[in-house]
Order: sequence, then structure tokens, then C-alpha cells
Amino acid sequence: MTALLEVEDLRTSFKVESGRFQAVDGIDLRLEAGRTLGVVGESGCGKSVTALSIMGLVASPPGEVAAAKIRFEGRDLLALSADAMRDLRGDRLAMIFQEPMTSLNPAFTVGDQIAEAIQRHRGLDRAAAWARAVEMLRRVHIPAAEARAHDYPHKLSGGMRQRVMIAMALALDPKLLIADEPTTALDVTVQAQILDLLRRLRAESGMAILIITHDLGVIAELADDVTVMYAGKVVERAPVEALFEAPQHPYTIGLLGSIPRLEREQARLDAIEGVVPNPLSPPAGCRFHPRCPFAEARCREAEPGLGPVGPSHFAACWRTPLP
Amino acid sequence: MTAPLLEARGLVKHFPVRRGLFGRVSGQVRAVDEIDFTLAKGETLALVGESGCGKSTTGRLVLRLIEPTAGEVRFEGQAVFDLSDGQVRALRRKMQIVFQDPYASLNPRMTVGEILSEPLALHDLAPAAERPARVERLLREVGLAPDHARRYPHEFSGGQRQRIGIARALAVEPALIVCDEPVSALDVSIQAQVLNLLKALQGRFGLAYVFIAHDLAVVRHVADRVAVMYLGKIVEQAPTKALFAAPRHPYTRALLSAIPVPSPKARRNRVILEGDVPSPIDPPPGCRFHTRCAYAVPRCKTEAPALVERAGHAVACHRADELPAESPVPRAERGPGAERLARLQAAFSQGRE
Ligand SMILES: Nc1ncnc2c1ncn2[C@@H]1O[C@H](COP(=O)(O)OP(=O)(O)OP(=O)(O)O)[C@@H](O)[C@H]1O
Ligand SMILES: Nc1ncnc2c1ncn2[C@@H]1O[C@H](COP(=O)(O)OP(=O)(O)O)[C@@H](O)[C@H]1O
Ligand code: SF4
Ligand code: SF4
Ligand SMILES: [Mg+2]
Ligand SMILES: [Mg+2]
Repeated sequence: MTALLEVEDLRTSFKVESGRFQAVDGIDLRLEAGRTLGVVGESGCGKSVTALSIMGLVASPPGEVAAAKIRFEGRDLLALSADAMRDLRGDRLAMIFQEPMTSLNPAFTVGDQIAEAIQRHRGLDRAAAWARAVEMLRRVHIPAAEARAHDYPHKLSGGMRQRVMIAMALALDPKLLIADEPTTALDVTVQAQILDLLRRLRAESGMAILIITHDLGVIAELADDVTVMYAGKVVERAPVEALFEAPQHPYTIGLLGSIPRLEREQARLDAIEGVVPNPLSPPAGCRFHPRCPFAEARCREAEPGLGPVGPSHFAACWRTPLP
Repeated sequence: MTAPLLEARGLVKHFPVRRGLFGRVSGQVRAVDEIDFTLAKGETLALVGESGCGKSTTGRLVLRLIEPTAGEVRFEGQAVFDLSDGQVRALRRKMQIVFQDPYASLNPRMTVGEILSEPLALHDLAPAAERPARVERLLREVGLAPDHARRYPHEFSGGQRQRIGIARALAVEPALIVCDEPVSALDVSIQAQVLNLLKALQGRFGLAYVFIAHDLAVVRHVADRVAVMYLGKIVEQAPTKALFAAPRHPYTRALLSAIPVPSPKARRNRVILEGDVPSPIDPPPGCRFHTRCAYAVPRCKTEAPALVERAGHAVACHRADELPAESPVPRAERGPGAERLARLQAAFSQGRE
């Protein structure tokens, strides 16, 4: 079966004053139609750059996207013209961002913004596009959608804006929705509403979702498969049950230990010390070794490759399988 | 029983709503509406609720950064709102605040050394010659390096900036720190580091915290007692253990139910709280939560429930005794997988296997 999205050996670099660095350093992703893939990792690990690279939204210069393959519905996105890519975006392939205001235009009402996108891609007349926009606002559970369609974005709460973003992204029935930290700036209650909404819309439309987050709790709620990224690389990949039941990479284990648990008291959280390395000077050997309690001499010298550790389960660590 | 470190009684803060800059007052934002709480030395009280429930306003009242509409706050027995300006300055030595957005609260043109020296000078805590050594000690205390003193806030990550904000609060050796969503803007991993730091500092210096948050999982980890706020009111207040063992207010239960559990097996049939918090300008009559409550009955629309305490656990709901027994707090997982994971995770705390 051919995948909906296939990414092979994606390498995205940026030129800065002191040289060029690799923000994403050779990663593979694969997503089947209707499935949900979670990409998780700390801030600065290259998650957003991965998403923007797929969407063709990395500004060049300073960015440069290289890959052996980026295929969506069998089409080679690397070979598409800028115009063809623009037609695809917002249509078959849509994206929502952490901060909804970055993609909402403060000068237009939310109804106008959604209707405009529908008109441009589908050639509907104004009235039909507006009706569809209101219908979309209703589908994302915006109360009094007809009235709200006339509001400007700044009048809406954070949760409402994120709903509007989702309505806009889904207005054209995309096959793939890329959601980059869609709930990170929100209260837990609004986060629960948005995750529930994404689950429901996914069931209705059969779209696939690529969800990006630093929170494994969100991954557990939504994803079928998980890719864990650290410092521009994939360090673990597994079906969601296997990842949570038998995580193999120390980084994944550390991320799980960082989460304060609702169901038990803890004197102390098992936090990962330190921070993600500066991509201009990544550590030699395994990039996680300065923060890894399992590190050995070889970890500082040679870089481990991504190898099988179970059915459809891969990890990049010299010490796996960990007992 | 010894007197509490901090005590709030009948605390109210209404902000006038004006039409235009100098227009007539057309209403009141009822940000905080008659709340009571106490806090002992070395203890942590969490204030929890959604955005706009009045948590930050409460924190600012405690520090007298704003004046109340009514009510009283006592700190070490002193009535905070009766103090003169000079006395308020002395009070700031004992009560500090740490904000959610560390960047906005640090002066970008000052080095970290200058930022940390400022309170020492302001409160005459150390002569100029001793300040560098004090700054160095503060930096170590919060897990930063002495040479960080020469750098500027923009050179630090979000988590490091939060450490700087904590060091600044610690500089005056306070008895109480109001932590206003100190980890809400941080990645889960950095959040864990900062939470561990706050707990360690509390143990070392006997600090009391008013800890403001919207995530009850974080609260379970840091607080001794929890006050859940909704639209300016405390709707449930209890020791942390009691609250998590048997949450009694429908709003508390909804907040608990909203937290994602990092286990795909636990994907729950949750009660999703629909909609946003209503406007505090014109809060719903009766029980303020009735517009979103799954258990509301006609009485809830007209009659405001009183906060009733039983064995230290206070709740304001007409139907608190009729709610289903099943708790929205998931059960802890057991079995070989969970044991293996706990063992491996502990390596991160020990720094080795
Ligand atoms: N200076 C002010 N003037 C008018 N209204 C205010 C002022 N400060 C706060 N409010 C209002 O009072 C209510 C409570 O605000 P507060 O900041 O205390 O909420 P919060 O619980 O801290 O929320 P958040 O989670 O968003 O920080 C809100 O409706 C807010 O808009
Ligand atoms: N436009 C850009 N120019 C230069 N560096 C960038 C740019 N966008 C991202 N980066 C860098 O690339 C790395 C990965 O960033 P990002 O993908 O945003 O991380 P994440 O989404 O995982 O938090 C970071 O070091 C970030 O600073
Ligand atoms: S390879 Fe070594 S340093 Fe890297 S994650 Fe595995 S044990 Fe840790
Ligand atoms: S008093 Fe009524 S509306 Fe309020 S929380 Fe209890 S059941 Fe719900
Ligand atoms: Mg990002
Ligand atoms: Mg606040």
C-alpha cells in the first residue's frame, strides 16, 4: 500500500552568521491515509521545521530543504512549482499553528477569511462560500456561528481562535492536516475541547493528522503511531501502545518521567537535566549523551543508527533493548 | 494553633468597566468576589481554575500590587491594606512574585548580575562589595552558573529565564512567593526541572508558596492544599490528598477530566467542559457554574450555593453529595511494564543507572 505521505532523509538547514546548521538532519516519516502520526520532542528539536519543510513553507534563504523523497498522494512535492504547491496547501494539505493569530488576518472577519479561501480554491460564488464558512464554524462548535462569522479575530478567546483556524484548515476537506502544537498555548479544558474536536472531525472526514507536540499526554490522546525527535534526528519510532508500554530510547523514557501524573503522588519528578544542544555544535556520538544517565564510553564516540527493537518499533541507542 | 503566615478574609476586587477612556462606568468586572483562605509558613496553597477566574488578581491583591474593593489580607498578623507606603516596601522583602512569562518580567537592558543585585541594594541587604558573592550564590541556588551574571536575559532559554526570575525573588530571602503560572509556558521537560527546583528551594528555605496554575496534575505535585476558583469564587478547597481522593465539585471534576493521561489505554470517556468561562461582568445568577454544569437542576439557576466545610474539605455545590462515586482521577498503572519504566525513569533523578 502506498502511503499518503512519505518523507525520506529530510535535511533542512539554515544559514546564520556563524555558519550553516542542520535543523533537521535526515529524518524519515510515513503516514497512511486516515491515520494519525504524532511527532514529539522538546522545543528546538526540529519539529516545526519538519512540518514547514513538508508544506514548502521554509523561506530560502536562509533555509534550504533537501530530501531523498517528499511524496504526498504519490506526488513528488519537491518537484512541484511554487504555484502548484500553493494550490495544494489549504486544499489537500492543510496546517494549523500554535499561535492562531499568525495565520488569521486581523483586518478581516473570520467568516470572510474562511469564505475567501473556499472561493479561491473551489470557485464557488460569494453566497455559497459564505454559507460553507458558517457551516464550518458550526462544525467546530462555535456557538451562534452566523453571528460569530462577522467577528474580527481579536474579539475571540484563544480557544475560539484555534477553532476558527481548524474550521479554515478543514473547509476544503484536506486529506492531511498538519497540526503544530495546536493546544500548547491553551488551558487544559480548552485543550481537551480541541483534542476532542480533532478526533470527531477525523472520524467524520477520514483525514490523516500529523500532530506535533512536546507533550506525550497529547500524543497518547490522539496518535496511532509516534516518532520521537531529538536534536534534528528521529530517536524512536513505534505504534502508540508500544511506545508508552515499552519505550526503548532513554530520551523517550525521560520525557515520560517529566510528566506530573494525576494518578499518583511523587516526591520529585524524574526530570531530564540540561537542555537541547545548540544545533550549531551538536555533541559528538549520540546527541543525547550529555543528558543521558545510561551513557557509556561508546556513546560519546559513535552515533547509533535507528535499529529494530520490536514489531514496527525502532530506536537509535547503543544500549537498547534496555532491561 | 499558631497564627497563619497569610490570611485572606472576604477578599473582593471589582474593576470598573468604562465606555471609552474617560467615559461613565457602565459595569463592574467581578474578578474576585469574596474569597477566604489561609496559608501556613512553609506551605503551598494552589489556586486553580481556567483563564479569567481571578487567580492572578488574587495573587496581586495578596502582594498589594492592587487595592481591594473590600476585605482583608493579613501577613504575619499585619493588615496588608492598612500599611503605609514605607511599610509596603518592607513587606515586599517578605513577599515576592514569579510570573508566567519570565521574559516580560526581566529588564532586557540589565545583565543578570544587575537584575539580581537590584533587590539587594533596594532593601539594603548587602553592601556593594558583597553583592557579587551573593549573586553568585543565588545563581548556584537555582542551578545556573556564576558566569551567567554577565549575560543578558535574551541569551537564555525560557526555562533558564524562569530560574533567573526565581533567583530574583529569592534575593530578599522572602517568607512567601506568589508563583503565577510559573511553568505554564514551558515544555514538559523544562517544567519538570523548574517544579523540582521550586520544591527543593521550599525545603531548604522554609518558603511558603501561593501557586497559581490551570493544570491539576502540576498542582498535585506541588501543593499541600488546593483552592479551585471559578468566576471569582472559590468553589472547592481541600488538602491536596483529600481533593484527589474524592473531588466533590463538578467543576473540579471537569478540570481533572480534561488532563490528558500519558497512556493510550487510559483514553477516557471524559466529560468535556463545553464553551468558555462566561463574562465576569455579568456572571450567571445562582451557581455561577450552572451554564456549563452537567448536574445543574432548576435550583442552581436561582440560588447560589454556600461554601460548606466538612472535615477540612469545603465545597460550594447544591448537589455535592449526589454526584456519581466514580472519580475522574485515573488509576495508577501496575505490572511489569510500569515497574520497568519506574526503574528506568529513576535513573534520571539519580544521574546514573
Ligand atoms: N486591571 C483590570 N481591569 C479590568 N479587568 C481586569 C483587570 N485585571 C483583570 N481583569 C479581569 O478580571 C478577571 C480575572 O482576571 P485574572 O487575571 O485574575 O484571571 P486569571 O485567573 O489569572 O486568568 P489567566 O489564567 O488568564 O491568567 C478577568 O475577567 C480579567 O479580564
Ligand atoms: N527561520 C529560521 N532561521 C534560523 N533558524 C531556525 C529557523 N526556524 C527554526 N530554526 C532553528 O531550527 C531548530 C529547530 O527549530 P524548530 O523546528 O522550530 O523546533 P521545534 O518545533 O521542535 O521546537 C532550532 O534551533 C531553531 O532555532
Ligand atoms: S546511545 Fe548512549 S547516550 Fe545515546 S541514548 Fe543510548 S545510552 Fe544514552
Ligand atoms: S450548584 Fe448546581 S450548577 Fe452549581 S456546580 Fe452544583 S450542581 Fe452544578
Ligand atoms: Mg515548534
Ligand atoms: Mg493569570
